[in-house]
Amino acid sequence: MKRILSLVLALLMALSLTATAQEPMVLKYGTDAEPIGFDPHTVPALASTRIMLQMYETLVDVDENMNVVPLLAETWEQPDDLTYIFHLRKGVKFHSGREMKAEDVKYSFERILNPDLGALGNSASYAGYIEKVEVLDEYSVKFTLKQINAPFLSALASSYLSIVDKEAVEAAGGNLLQSSGGTGPFVLGEWVPDNSVTVHRFEDYWQEGVKFERIEFYVITDPSARMSALRTGEVDLIVGDSAMLSLAEKAKNVEIYKVRSRNYTTLCLNLNKEELKDVRVRQAISLALNRQEIIDLAFNGEAEISGFAPASMGHWAVDVLEHPLYQQDVEKAKELMKEAGYENGFTLTCTVGLLDSIRNSGTVIQQQLAAIGINVDVQNKENAQYVDDWKTHNFDLMVCQNGAGTDPNRAVAFFFSTTGSANIAEYSNPRVDELCELAAGTTNVDQRREYYHEAINIILDECPNVTFASPYDYIYASTDLKGYAPTASNMVNFRFAYIEK
Amino acid sequence: MSDKKTYVDRRLPTGDSLLKQLWQDPLGRAGFLGILFILLLALFAPIIARYDVAQINSKARLAAPSGTYWFGTDNFGRDIFSRIVYGAQVSLLVGVVSVSIAAGIGYLFGLAAGFFEGKVESTIMMLMDIIFAFPSILLALLIVAVLGTSIVNTMIAIGIVNIPVFARTVRASVKAVKGTDYIANARSVGLKNSVILFRHITPNSLAPFTVQATLALSSAILTEATMSFLGLGIQPPNPSWGSMLSEARTYMEMAPWMVVFPALFIIFTILSFNILGDALRDALDPKLKL
Amino acid sequence: MKNYIIRRVLMLIPILLGISIAIFLIMQLIPGDVVSGILGIEETPELRAMWEKKLGIDKPLVTQYFNWISGVVRGDFGESFRTGAKVFPEILWRFSISAELAILACIVAWIIAFPLGILSALKRNSFIDRIVRVAALLGVSVPGFAFATLLILFLALVFGYYPPIKYVSLMQNPLKNLEIMILPAIVLGSSMAGSVMRMTRSSMLEVLRQDFIKAVRAKGAPERITIMRHAFRNASIPIVTLVGMQIGILMGGTVVIEQIFSIPGLGQYLLTGIFQRDFPIVQGTVLFMATIYVIINLLVDILYTYIDPRITYS
Repeated sequence: MKRILSLVLALLMALSLTATAQEPMVLKYGTDAEPIGFDPHTVPALASTRIMLQMYETLVDVDENMNVVPLLAETWEQPDDLTYIFHLRKGVKFHSGREMKAEDVKYSFERILNPDLGALGNSASYAGYIEKVEVLDEYSVKFTLKQINAPFLSALASSYLSIVDKEAVEAAGGNLLQSSGGTGPFVLGEWVPDNSVTVHRFEDYWQEGVKFERIEFYVITDPSARMSALRTGEVDLIVGDSAMLSLAEKAKNVEIYKVRSRNYTTLCLNLNKEELKDVRVRQAISLALNRQEIIDLAFNGEAEISGFAPASMGHWAVDVLEHPLYQQDVEKAKELMKEAGYENGFTLTCTVGLLDSIRNSGTVIQQQLAAIGINVDVQNKENAQYVDDWKTHNFDLMVCQNGAGTDPNRAVAFFFSTTGSANIAEYSNPRVDELCELAAGTTNVDQRREYYHEAINIILDECPNVTFASPYDYIYASTDLKGYAPTASNMVNFRFAYIEK
Repeated sequence: MSDKKTYVDRRLPTGDSLLKQLWQDPLGRAGFLGILFILLLALFAPIIARYDVAQINSKARLAAPSGTYWFGTDNFGRDIFSRIVYGAQVSLLVGVVSVSIAAGIGYLFGLAAGFFEGKVESTIMMLMDIIFAFPSILLALLIVAVLGTSIVNTMIAIGIVNIPVFARTVRASVKAVKGTDYIANARSVGLKNSVILFRHITPNSLAPFTVQATLALSSAILTEATMSFLGLGIQPPNPSWGSMLSEARTYMEMAPWMVVFPALFIIFTILSFNILGDALRDALDPKLKL
Repeated sequence: MKNYIIRRVLMLIPILLGISIAIFLIMQLIPGDVVSGILGIEETPELRAMWEKKLGIDKPLVTQYFNWISGVVRGDFGESFRTGAKVFPEILWRFSISAELAILACIVAWIIAFPLGILSALKRNSFIDRIVRVAALLGVSVPGFAFATLLILFLALVFGYYPPIKYVSLMQNPLKNLEIMILPAIVLGSSMAGSVMRMTRSSMLEVLRQDFIKAVRAKGAPERITIMRHAFRNASIPIVTLVGMQIGILMGGTVVIEQIFSIPGLGQYLLTGIFQRDFPIVQGTVLFMATIYVIINLLVDILYTYIDPRITYS
């Protein structure tokens, strides 16, 4: 009897001990979409990037002021315009435990440039200018470019150019969609499709101070359900939705993180359309818009009036608030329409996608353009169809959300140079093309800025698209979450975050 | 001696007596009046509505119900009452047109399958099985994805999905009638197939068909709402109740009126159709008469 | 009977083949493809060509179809274009989840519908009968997504409760699994209850009229026993078959509810596949669902002959 009693006591003690033992620190993150695999070289989806950023790192990083800063490469030098030599940080380990060396950098870029992979970085915006990558010694690697390319350094910060573990890629059969082979602070754990992804702390991570034992990413597509999950403490952090802002403000235990994004929402015009060939019509459209009203109604007021080089681009940005075409003036717009011979107006279709802000912008624009006699027929497309129309330039007007990227080369040349692969308006201006080339051909920052500003101003006057808003990104988190500081470059940096109740 | 089943006349009672019978059933009466109410709302929408349904107004965004806006306003500052009233047009139109498509095609298929039997029957019924084997909401989505999003395409998609139910109902009643002496007699006096089909079999299969149509109307409205939720229903700025409800979900807590009114009207309409269908079934089902 | 079953099973082959061709063609007709989705704004003609080759969608349609269907016959449904994961094991895993949800939803529906249906039949045409019928129909009349969002919001605001967010299977943790499944099951079940109630009511009415019930009553059996042991048992045959059909329909009908409650079911898999143009997922899932549906149909037909000897197939 006594024995049983002592046994029970011991059991109870053991139980209470495990209960008081410190629980590992876990971050629960409510996200809005299901990831589609975790190969940093082939998967662009934001839902995946969010998780891949925990697992992979790049040679360099870009800070919130758009300066290039060291990451896996500690230092670099540029002996001539076409050559970059990177000196790698020593003691950085892959998740397999093997040290990352120059060979791995070489392998990563060869993988990206291998035509069979179809890597996203294998294009002019990223690694396309690389001629060859050579290993100088264990910790030094030399890149030779085909031509001068000023945006090269900042492009290296893109997660599409992450450094991966050759052995891990081979072990996984050539793709990393469901495994992790990076140097980041977390390692891929369990993936329950359409429910959750868990990443665990990588104990050999080269930086100290990672506090979370694991991060669990949950898919909760419904914004109101996500908000409920946060308020009941079921998750610690959610992807915010501007419609929920007033609720987040009211909730006592919720902290709001507001970040200027590098995205902007714009009305793309198809310059092949007869009426839109006339610059006066395009300017009239810009004058007809009340941008603040679009923001109030379609973005719940949570965006700023912006051009296609948004304020988050720092010194590269051009302030559009004072630009004459950004001031709503219906009378002047009507005059321009009259001058162009369209006094009686005409009808255009406007293609919009499923994203709430895009779809709702279409509704508001339809009303605003009616005032100058343009009858807009809004066409809502399901996502894949929308992308298809975008790609084949099958639209009159289209509301798009674009990312301006980390370098003005992306914001300007990619979207507006005659050969730019995202130039869906089919806009062509020889001076803009020339300026883009000049800017890519020099590494003098002031000089580049001058070129880009001139190009941006030309484009603003000629209106191949009519940009109106740059939305804020929102993260709502529990007030217990500390040490978390999201930026436009990285909204999901939890390296030094922790939970303190 | 053949043991032919005795002929049960399942023709619709004449319009007059059926209405009378429905009217006597309190539920039938309620369903009937409910639908009449929505129908009147749709018919007189231009008179009843108080504002332009598409007119946005950033100053009156998410306004609570008041004397100015009886049902409040939505996230575009549009008057919800007016949108509900016009939404009755859209929702009823979607229901009626898609059910007509389904009923029309399903009827012909069912009639042909039931009457001709053999190869015709097995081919038609196999086609019906193929359609039926797809989960309905997902099939409707696929069809809209192929055709593109528009009101007409939504109606076509919901219509196609509902064809098999009608085909089966009609086929079953055709077969039931066919086995009777009544039709055998018609044949023996030398009536042509087409005459037998349309003069004798059609009226006899109308009863279950009518019930089916009433119920299909309610499910069509519900399907449209669900498709709107998935982003492929009736497209804004058209005010269908389904799209209003699905747009309102995000504002459920800040502006509950955005959810409450479209939801009430959807539920009311579907319920009315269901109750009427239920009562009709009772009225037409001789087995339930004690 | 044996011949009948063999014939029916043989008939399944053209139906399933027809479905496989139909879904294959529908996917080809939908504008937009998986490559656009993968590459998005980064697309260039070179990258597109690489991806088309990699995924095998550069081959002629007929070749693509035969490659796929010959795999299917061998039990290999291919791999997801996007994630590279094998489709068939994932279908099976998700099927187990959707099936569990469907069964739970049926149980909820029965719990609501049977007592109400019996009550409604016994008190036929009374005030109670009408209230019960309207209440049952109300469940069918509420859009599931609205009910689900409202339920989540209500529980969060009033009780500060949110269902467990991490999915665990029935095997891992039965209690937690039930806690996850119960809310979606209630939403789905309440929408099914209407038709089950209706069926219960009319079959009960029919049985109650029959002579043997009159005989049982005449023998002086207590009313409760008469109803439960004799009447309901006999009335339950058509009800059970209706339920069988509903499980089949539920396989696809749960998609919206699965999405709202973050449950990784089969419908959700198919929906994502459609939106992302992930052909192997869509084709595989549709074919699988159709097979299940067709088999349930066959079983119900066969079951009929055992339940009701008057029905014969030749």
